[in-house]
Order: sequence, then C-alpha cells, then structure tokens
Amino acid sequence: MISAELAIGAGVALVCGLDRIAALQIMVSRPIVAAPLVAWLLGDVAVGLEIGLMVELLWLARLPVGAAIPPDDTQVSIAGTVLAISLGNHLGQSGLEFQLLCLLIAIPFGKFGQFFDRFARQYNGRKVAQCDRLLEAGHFYAMEQAHRMGLCCFALAALGTYFVIICGGLVMIPILAPILQPSLSESAEWLRLALPLVGIAVILGTINVSRALTLFGASFGMAFLLMWLV
Amino acid sequence: MVKLSKLTLLHVWLRLLLLQGSWNFERLQGGGWFYAMAPVLRVLYGEKEMQRIAREHVGYFNTHPYLAPTVVGAVIRMELERAAGKELEIGVPEFKEMVASPYAAVGDALFWGGLRPLAAGIALLLAAKGLAVAPVVFLLLFNALPLWFRIAGFLSAYELGIQSVEFLQRRKLPDLAIRAKEATVVLFGGVAAFMVFQLLDGKQKPLWLGLLAVPAVLLCGYLARRGISTLMLVLLSSGLILICSLFSADVAVWLP
Repeated sequence: MISAELAIGAGVALVCGLDRIAALQIMVSRPIVAAPLVAWLLGDVAVGLEIGLMVELLWLARLPVGAAIPPDDTQVSIAGTVLAISLGNHLGQSGLEFQLLCLLIAIPFGKFGQFFDRFARQYNGRKVAQCDRLLEAGHFYAMEQAHRMGLCCFALAALGTYFVIICGGLVMIPILAPILQPSLSESAEWLRLALPLVGIAVILGTINVSRALTLFGASFGMAFLLMWLV
Repeated sequence: MVKLSKLTLLHVWLRLLLLQGSWNFERLQGGGWFYAMAPVLRVLYGEKEMQRIAREHVGYFNTHPYLAPTVVGAVIRMELERAAGKELEIGVPEFKEMVASPYAAVGDALFWGGLRPLAAGIALLLAAKGLAVAPVVFLLLFNALPLWFRIAGFLSAYELGIQSVEFLQRRKLPDLAIRAKEATVVLFGGVAAFMVFQLLDGKQKPLWLGLLAVPAVLLCGYLARRGISTLMLVLLSSGLILICSLFSADVAVWLP
C-alpha cells in the first residue's frame, strides 16, 4: 500500500522536521539518521543507509546560523528513501540505480524546503506584535500558547517540503526511469562515490582550518596507500 | 532569597528544548526565551509585577541552542537576587546581550562546524561498510557533549549567576572547536580514501586511478569557495558522470 508508506514517511518527516530547528535538536534530522529510520519503518534499512550516506555530507557545511536557512536535506533524504522503497515496490524497481534516480530527482526539490522554512519564520514574525499586545493585557499563558503554535508552523513547513518532493518524484520518476535507467546502471557506483566526495569538497572549501588541504591530502594519501599495499 | 524547586528548574530545562519553536526574523529566539523563563517568573512575581519584569524577557535573543541553558541558568539566578531585593550588578537585558553573541559564535564553531562533521564522518565510514549501527553511533557521538553542556551549563550557571561566564571560559571551547575541525579534515581524508578504494577494488580497476580523486575534490572545493552552490556541483558532477557512462557504453560497442 503506497499510501500507507507515504503516511509513515510523513510521520518521520514531521518528527525530523521539528528536530531540525524547532524542537530538541538531537540531530535525528540528519540524513544519516533520518533516512535509515524511515527505511527501517518501511522494512529496508539498507536503502536508507545508502541514501543517508550519499546525502549526509552535501549540505553539512551550510551551518544553521542566525537567519541562514540551508536546503532541507532532512526531507530530501526522507522523501528520497520513501520514493526508492515504496515507488520501487510499486514499479517493480530496486537497486542502487533506482535509489540514485529517486535521490537525484529529490535533491533539487530540497530548495522548496527553504521557501517553506522562510514562510514559517515569517508567519511566526507576524505573531510578535500579537505577543506584545498579550503581554500588555497580562495574558501570559496565551503568549506561551503562541510560542507552541510556532512549532505547528515548522511542522507544516516540514510536511509541505516532504509532500512537494514526494509529488515531484511520483510524477517525474515513472517518466524518467526508462530513459535514465540504462546510463544509471553504468554509472551508479561512480555516482554513489561522487555525492559524498562533493560534500567533502564543499566542506573543505568552506571550513576555516589552516592547512586543511595539506591535512586532507596527507590523510587521503596515507590511508589509500595503506589499503593499496596491505 | 527564594529557592526554586527542582521541579521548576526541570520545567525550565525541558522548555529550553523548544527554545527555537517560534523562531522568527524579528526576535529570533525571543519567544522561546520567554516561554522557558515563564515558570520561574510566575513563581517569583505577582501578576502586576510579572508584567513589568516580563518586558525584559520578550525582546530579541539569539544564541547557540546548546549553550542557551547556560544563559538561562545565570538569568534565573539574577532574577532570584532581584526578587530578594538585591541590586543587580548588570541588568538582565544587558547580560543577555553581552553573552548571547560570543556563546553563539563559540557554539556554532564547536557543535555545527566541528563536532557534527566529525561524528558524521565516523558514521559514514560505518555506513559505507553497510553497518546498520551507523545512525546510532552518530547520535551517541554527537549528542554526548551537547547534552553535557545543556545540563551542566544550566546547573552551574544557576549556581554561579553572572560568574557562569567563567564556566565556559575554563573549557577553552574555541581551541576545542579548532581541534575538532582539524580532526574532521583528517577523518574526511580517510573516508574519501576508503570509499575510492572500495569502488576501484570492487570494479577491478587500476588502483592508481584513485589518486585522481584528490585533484577532483580540490577542484570542487575551489568551486565551492568561489560561490558555486552545492546543488550546482551535484548536478554538474552527476551530469558529467552520466554523459561519460553513455560515451563509454558507445565506445565499448566498437571494441573487440
């Protein structure tokens, strides 16, 4: 039942979406956790591990600092995993190629997460004047309630992003799968390597560490030679 | 001086887990700050007085969410002193303003910039080996330090008041952040080498090809530094790989 699987994904998207900014922040929202979690609930942890592995590093360098809103890698990984498992079962597709196709479709839709997130924050901003009026009236419990309502905005933003990615995937994947499948089967393992390497490159390019390239190069060279020679 | 019950303190601490629940561009964590402080203000002040005091707790506030308990703990101590009629050395809004930005900068560098990539790198190594414990390892590695700061920072700041600044100074967090970032860079070198080796070994390709990964990573890093977005890099590298695979398939047809 694809609808039941989408609903399970929505539940995980909601919890992880709240963890991302609004509540707890214990990092269950990171792709390396969120994707295997939803995949475990859908009965195929290996798919979640693969997708978590490929997405985790991509936007790790974009720090959630102040007003900065990074693309929603949480919903990309969750929706990508749900699509790979449930749509894969529905279409009779599986394997790394199909997971990659789902992921490559989901990644651009992650930009929508920024719009939804910004909208949630702007909506919360509109409540500021209302909170000031409540304060003047001495309605402190209502102010606390307004804060809790902010959580609902973030929850809706997470669900909105999830459903945009899912809808985009449900429309595009059945069309693109027959076209891209042959070249994906040739290149799947290279792509599986390329995505984490792009993430590492972006982190190296933005991390504020002196001699980062020397440290990276030395570490890479030593580890690679050790594996080669041993 | 009034002593707050452990239950009230626990109530505040739990509410701090929702500090960013109403995050907005006007006051950032301001709504969450009032939400966390409300149980204390309610115990210390009557309704009329609370209205006056609460005005100091609804304004702009922004710091790192894991270090916010340290600020809140100190402010609770200040409120206890004010409620007992003591003259405060520094006002509550001034104290919040004074510590919020430095704590945010230190917390961002340590937790987001250092610890998170480090824990992710270790988890990725496990995930690349297909071990399902990778997410659990990530959660344990990452959360130990933030949880300690959330609890110990809150309690010691509650005891020390504005002197709690020394609690963080003693820990030399900026140095720790630099160490964590350096360790992350070294770890990523190992992760990249492992993944490249795993692929070439599995595909029975010449292993020296793996050394080409270093300039490729450096080129992508350079492009990222020049402002090319991650999404663009993903699309470019994926497109390039897909085109190369199509080309190689065509060439293979003509080969004996």
